[in-house]
Amino acid sequence: MSLKVKFHSLFRIKLKSRGHEYQLEDEIDVMELIDLLDDDYDGYFSKKLLDAGEISPGSIILVNGENVIHKDGVKTKIKDGDTVTLFPPSAGG
Amino acid sequence: MGKIYEYQVLRVNLSNGEISRETIAGEKVKKFLGGRGLASKMLYDEIDPKVDPLSPENKLIYATGLLTGTAASTGGRYMVITKGPLTGTIASSNSGGFFGAEMRFSGNDIIVFEGKAEKPVYLSLKGDQAELKDASHLWGKGVYDTTDMLIEEFGDEKARVSCIGPAGENMVKFASIMNEKDRAAGRTGVGAVMGSKNLKAIVVKAGEKQVEYFKDEMMEVVKKQTKTLKEDGVTGEGLPALGTKVLDNVINEHGAYPRNNFQYGTFDKVEEVSGEALVEKGYLQNNKGCYGCPIRCGRHTKLPNGQEGEGPEYETGWAFGADCGVSDLNAIVQANFLCNDLGLDTISAGATIAAAMELYEKGYVDKEELENGPELTFGSSESVTYYTRQMAYREGFGDQLAEGSYRLAESKGNAELSMSVKKQELPAYDPRGIQGQGLNYATSNRGGCHVRGYMVSPEVLGVPEKLDPQELKGKPEWVKIFQDLTAVIDSLGMCLFTSFALGLEDYTEIANAGTEFEYSPEEMLENGERIYNLERQFNLEAGITPDQDKLPKRFDEPLPDGTFRGTAAKYREILPEYYEVRGWQQDGWISDEKLSEMGLK
Ligand code: SF4
Repeated sequence: MSLKVKFHSLFRIKLKSRGHEYQLEDEIDVMELIDLLDDDYDGYFSKKLLDAGEISPGSIILVNGENVIHKDGVKTKIKDGDTVTLFPPSAGG
Repeated sequence: MGKIYEYQVLRVNLSNGEISRETIAGEKVKKFLGGRGLASKMLYDEIDPKVDPLSPENKLIYATGLLTGTAASTGGRYMVITKGPLTGTIASSNSGGFFGAEMRFSGNDIIVFEGKAEKPVYLSLKGDQAELKDASHLWGKGVYDTTDMLIEEFGDEKARVSCIGPAGENMVKFASIMNEKDRAAGRTGVGAVMGSKNLKAIVVKAGEKQVEYFKDEMMEVVKKQTKTLKEDGVTGEGLPALGTKVLDNVINEHGAYPRNNFQYGTFDKVEEVSGEALVEKGYLQNNKGCYGCPIRCGRHTKLPNGQEGEGPEYETGWAFGADCGVSDLNAIVQANFLCNDLGLDTISAGATIAAAMELYEKGYVDKEELENGPELTFGSSESVTYYTRQMAYREGFGDQLAEGSYRLAESKGNAELSMSVKKQELPAYDPRGIQGQGLNYATSNRGGCHVRGYMVSPEVLGVPEKLDPQELKGKPEWVKIFQDLTAVIDSLGMCLFTSFALGLEDYTEIANAGTEFEYSPEEMLENGERIYNLERQFNLEAGITPDQDKLPKRFDEPLPDGTFRGTAAKYREILPEYYEVRGWQQDGWISDEKLSEMGLK
């Protein structure tokens, strides 16, 4: 299956990358995706997105636009063709 | 002199030139805090809520917050309170920068302007002297020139200036008041009231600081709070790096990023105009901060043509960008600089052009009316700069735009094409994607506004906790608490952005450290509730009745795109519960019992 990851905000600016695409054998969940990203980006994403194994306050992980907090959190399944969007804590007004 | 317990009021009668001083102390300060709260109480007590906002009978009050000028983190804010010409509601616009702190240092905690000057004047505050001076030579000048000329004339480059531009002079219904050139008390048309009084500016430089606000006890709390703000992901990292414009992609991905006058909830060209683009295109130079601010969310930008200034903020970038279908970041930044110099609220300016574009495309505005101006079609970057300038000077079609989107659309026979609440243009969040925000829009005391209870924070950003944006249960309580807490933060003179990291307990602690008062957190929140009720009561007496607690009809239709495609606004379902939570009558009016309970009767 294929999945697309989009980086925004400080992720994009610090990593100088707009995202990453993965081709995988099996379906994965959000936690497994963070592990994959950690391998590619030197442990960066778990540090920024997680707090004691849960999504840290203010970090935003969307699967096809929907915040995974209102789905199964880090256990939310990612399917073929999905887009995952990642934001570090962000706010404004 | 030590902690704060009283307010020094400077009263300036512009009609006869008399200037007098008075003091407010004790319970009134304790219960209404300062700034927005205390000044709203004064306005309510001193004017008939039914007055014409642009008549001499209206008053214009400059007020520092309870902790403005102290060591409190972000404690530099001042507010302008008056009856607003755009909405007819009570208006309170809040600005950062350094003017507010200087005003406090000068011993003028509140300045009340009454009547109307015969000729243009400005108020000069030098040390403990207050003097009205002729401003004929400044009339017609932009904010930048006015600021430079006044500082020169004053003879002290450390003087601070708060002034209006041509838009305020021409009583554009959404004219702003600007300080340090780029900082705005932006919304609700406070600049038009200033213009109606022939008051161009205030320039202030304190002699010695009048009060010592840096007591050890306060410093301890300040240090702790500064540390919290610095360590928080939002206030310590996100806001300093990208400012509020970090939100473009967040809100767009969420499907609540209004495009083409709220006809859609996503913008396919967001990558061209986002905060990230501002960095990647090399426009962003560095960040700037207001008085006492460890967050420093301000942006200094420079365009390829060499033009420099501050901004754009998220709202501004959206109003001239996605809301007008425009993806030319250069034009958007230029429109922003124009608004700062002409003294216009960027949200209402951009959103009024967006409404005009829809009116034009649907045939409600004729080409002839544009008098050779560019065609008002969505996506026209030429239009946003051209008509921004025109509306400030009320030239050509700009004269109609200067009345705001509601009056414009109404005059064309289709008021529903104005995306406004109580005649003020909505900001950059589609309420169909953020239901609590919809309820807040409908019940905000100054009409369409996001900073009267920023429900986007819990519903989208997950701060302080993540709420489901489509869930209705519990939202009325959340909206009430956010509205009341915001009234507290404003009235304290701190920046609303601190609330991404600080909570009620923190605000109570800093107020206790900086003032003679001892508040419990419950009392502090009740102060906010009192202020909210007072503003509501003013509006009710002004004739803004509860049937105005509503959104434009467009939001009863489902969103056509994005994550929440097919969803309409549901605030009507929870409005009765909101009234109940507030302790108001079923019909939305406030009973005498509730008013006495709040100490308002
Ligand atoms: S957070 Fe931004 S707006 Fe608020 S006080 Fe600091 S610099 Fe000013």
